[in-house]
Amino acid sequence: MTEETPNDGLTGETPNDGLTVRDVEVRIAGKSVLGPVSLSVEPGTVVAVLGANGAGKSTLLRAIVGLAAVARGRIWLGGAEISDWPPERRVRAGVGWAPEGRRLFPGLTVAETLDVAAPGNAASRAARIEAMLQRFPMLADKRHETAWRLSGGQQQMLAIARAVIADPPVVLLDEPSLGLAPVVRDRVFEAVRTQADGGSAVLLAEQDIGRALAVADRVVVLSRGRLLLDWPTEVAIGNPNFEQALIGA
Amino acid sequence: MIEAAAQLVVNAIALGAVYALVALGFVLVIGAVGAVNFGHGELVMLGGMVAVGAAALLPVDTALPGLVVLPAALAVMAIVGLAVAGIAYAPLRHAPPTSVFIAMIAVGLIIQHGVTAGIGPEPRLGPPLVDTGVLQVAGIGLSHQQLATIATAAVLILAVHALLQRSRFGRRLRAAAQDPEMARAIGIPVNLTIAVSFALSAALAGAAGLLLSNQYLVTPTDGGMLMLKAYVATVIGGWGRIWGAVLGAFAIAVFETLVAAWASFLVAEALLYLGVLVVLAIRPQGLFGEAAGRRA
Amino acid sequence: MSGPNRRELVYFAAAAIGLGGVVGFGDAYTVRIATLVGIYAIATIGYQLVFGRLGLLSLAQGALFGIGAYSSALLTMKLGLPAPVGLVVAGLVPAVLAALVAVPIARLQSHYVALATLGLAQLVLLAATNLEITGSANGLYGVPPIAVGTIVIADGLAMLGLVWALVLVALVVSRIVLAGGRLARLATLRDAPHAALTLGLNPVPARLGLFAVAGAMGGVAGGLQAHGLGVVSPAVTGFEVMVTILTIAVVGGRGSALGAVAGAALLVPLPEFLRFLDGSYLVAYGVVLLAAIVLVPRGLDGRLRERFPSRPPRLPAAATPARRRRGKALIVDGLRKRFGGVTALDGVSFSVPAGTVVGLIGANGSGKTTTLNLISGLERPDSGQIRLGGVPLGDRAAHHRSGLGLGRGFQHPEMPDGLFVLEAAAVGTRDRSGAMAALDRVGLAERAGALVSDLGAAELRRLDLARALATEPEALILDEPAAGLTGDERAALAVLLRRLAAEGLAVLVVDHGMDFLMPLADRVVCLDAGKVLAVGTPEEVRRDPAVVAAYLGQWVAA
Repeated sequence: MTEETPNDGLTGETPNDGLTVRDVEVRIAGKSVLGPVSLSVEPGTVVAVLGANGAGKSTLLRAIVGLAAVARGRIWLGGAEISDWPPERRVRAGVGWAPEGRRLFPGLTVAETLDVAAPGNAASRAARIEAMLQRFPMLADKRHETAWRLSGGQQQMLAIARAVIADPPVVLLDEPSLGLAPVVRDRVFEAVRTQADGGSAVLLAEQDIGRALAVADRVVVLSRGRLLLDWPTEVAIGNPNFEQALIGA
Repeated sequence: MIEAAAQLVVNAIALGAVYALVALGFVLVIGAVGAVNFGHGELVMLGGMVAVGAAALLPVDTALPGLVVLPAALAVMAIVGLAVAGIAYAPLRHAPPTSVFIAMIAVGLIIQHGVTAGIGPEPRLGPPLVDTGVLQVAGIGLSHQQLATIATAAVLILAVHALLQRSRFGRRLRAAAQDPEMARAIGIPVNLTIAVSFALSAALAGAAGLLLSNQYLVTPTDGGMLMLKAYVATVIGGWGRIWGAVLGAFAIAVFETLVAAWASFLVAEALLYLGVLVVLAIRPQGLFGEAAGRRA
Repeated sequence: MSGPNRRELVYFAAAAIGLGGVVGFGDAYTVRIATLVGIYAIATIGYQLVFGRLGLLSLAQGALFGIGAYSSALLTMKLGLPAPVGLVVAGLVPAVLAALVAVPIARLQSHYVALATLGLAQLVLLAATNLEITGSANGLYGVPPIAVGTIVIADGLAMLGLVWALVLVALVVSRIVLAGGRLARLATLRDAPHAALTLGLNPVPARLGLFAVAGAMGGVAGGLQAHGLGVVSPAVTGFEVMVTILTIAVVGGRGSALGAVAGAALLVPLPEFLRFLDGSYLVAYGVVLLAAIVLVPRGLDGRLRERFPSRPPRLPAAATPARRRRGKALIVDGLRKRFGGVTALDGVSFSVPAGTVVGLIGANGSGKTTTLNLISGLERPDSGQIRLGGVPLGDRAAHHRSGLGLGRGFQHPEMPDGLFVLEAAAVGTRDRSGAMAALDRVGLAERAGALVSDLGAAELRRLDLARALATEPEALILDEPAAGLTGDERAALAVLLRRLAAEGLAVLVVDHGMDFLMPLADRVVCLDAGKVLAVGTPEEVRRDPAVVAAYLGQWVAA
């Protein structure tokens, strides 16, 4: 299993404007479960993180949000190093996270969910909520519906909307297609691409490899906590080493 | 006959209103931090004592003494709530849940015996909310105290409802109660919401104590029974469900009033405990709770 | 039974000094306090069995204490029976009552256990305060002192001697109850409930037994107090007694019988030392409890254990395992399971013949863990059959399946607190040499004398496998046993699993990597969305277009 890196995406020592992760390692009970992993996500691009369960995709995203203790390594948001910041601070600085399984607040309505995540005063929050409902038409007439009543696709849209309502420069999405019908998945991935096109740096952990590759600019494969490859999408597609990495991972 | 029944109904509603305040405070902490506050009954008692003490500071002919004292009682008890959160909950955030149970038992002990040691074990009379008059309506005696109790409790419950449902802070508090980690990940200050939950819970307890202190007197040993009733209300209404607990509290009040009138207060109490035990024996998850999953 | 360890010597030395001092220099008052210490020690030693070993926050021990007091008092006063008989009944009545409520209470979630036991205690208090027979609120006066024949144990030193002799009895009983591997099994039932079931441990007899013993000790303590004081008041069933017992248990160290004695020695005289605070000495109790739970959560015994850790168990020689076992085929037929609105399994069928390794793969949510849970009996299928060695498992409880030859490994194994590796591995079998052999096979033999808490995550997974192997299963189902292992460790695991199959076992392995399963499995079953997508050799499944499509997505297959 060769680790070819035709273009490793890290340009020198200066972090880029988006998300930069360098040599991050997460340990549980003394054993390394992730890393060391390095990658970067430029603004306006989507980087897909692929790999089987337990490969470390969620751990990586949690480490970036600040919910998994990082034993080694550094993380930058734009030019600012956020390695030691608590999650609340990272979120306020501009990291949006839609976790695996959505984790919506079951008793809150769509509007309430968006309201608690939106920054600013009442007027600006209301404006942002309107903007989200327009951007995600699946939610448009569900404003006062409680989260647990929504369909799977609507819930996923709400989770994404909650993650992006504050217009964060970095967006982390963990398996947004999980449990959704193919047609709904298409809409979810459209939303992902739109978010990147709007300027965000999007890191997308996924198991729906086909759709992930369709929207991603770069693709990273993790296996048992290690980074196997980090290639531009067009290089990965059709590459037999890439397919090997996925099936064997 | 009808008058007697109507009187009972009024008594039940007035009692239910107070029990609802107690249950509401109790369930707020359960929802916010998953902790059972065994000392909650003692907080109610303490509120009653604070009311007694504050009323003693008022000039003798003050009108609406209880209502005048209410804001002070709320404020003092809110501070007590923050102290309880800081001393008995915060250090045990990462400890197993039983530790918090035990710490709260300790808090209850300290409050109960502290009050007994400080001012003695005798029952004390708290200030009436309005005055001690009685309104006669169609043969039913409605004491001003009962009417004011119902009104005051209703206002407080509605205020809490408004806070939780209609304010941004209340929404954030609910979100943090439902999923603290996710709440942090969208920027909600979870430590603050927890502190506020404790303060609010204690304030409501204090108000309940004040409301009870005139008709039922305040005795330092009252706490245990009150907490037990709030606990039972959560079994009825569903663990952690706020409005379920409120309804449960009303149900308990109605049950108590009716059974006490038909037999005795003692029988009412005994039947209440028996009832809860039977419910738990048949449905270990409570009346409206969901059966716990057993995914490995 | 092994000889006393250093911790126990410390306790006994302290007790000898304390009691010696009281007997030699104490006045009548001190002797009475020391007697009371012994009484509470007995009640708390019993409580530790429920509170510590079962892990239940019961608040009924005070009520059981009171029931014992009333029982003995009434029997001796109204029926004129001799006090020793009264004491026996004082032990039996609460024991029976506690056993009656043991099973329903243990089914409750932890936040309701306290409520249920509190409710029971309140009922007892109401009965004591209001029934004629118990003397209502005044209680009973004139309870006769304990007399054996013509010997009356009325005076201080004799009573002191009797009580502390019974403390010793309580300690011995507590030790016997936990002997023979029961301590390890109870810890596993408490801390690793799912694993415990799959290892064949049945929680019900343990609960019944411990509740009964705890009730008996509480009751005997209450009886002793009744005869010692000559008075029984309803307060004896009230919350004060319960709080004292709880505080002693926490300060002494949750679960520790000797700690209970030490805690009683500290806390019962405390009000006397604090008399100078007048009424506020009871506040001090609350402060002590709070301080103990916050600052010293493991109590005196916990601290003592840090200074004088337990000696590791003697390691037996590893038994040579039978080279050829029968092995039982595992057949899954048409399994269906829904959780709420979600269909987890939709007609899954496959077989694991004896002597083979079958891999089970599939994406997150495809139903793999649900399948394993159904096979081990932790969940019931909505429809479908599971047959082990031709015998349908049907409704058989999970803890019976181990006896039929089924072993299970978990993805995130729960591990019992406070045990040594060998003890944790041996819970499913009576045979420690067999457990030693199992540890050897997974490569943990050198760690057999270490504490479970000192093991790393990957070692814990190997321990999980060892405890399953120690039950000598004929079919083994494993949930991601290779996760978190290094390349070398994974290779060693694959070798072990192949060897087990060669010995005749049917082995079902859930895993994610074809790189792990390729050299290992004879056949692979691929699940997708609750259905079987493909079955075949690893090579066939890997090249199956349906599998490739599911993994790589529609556009690649097209």
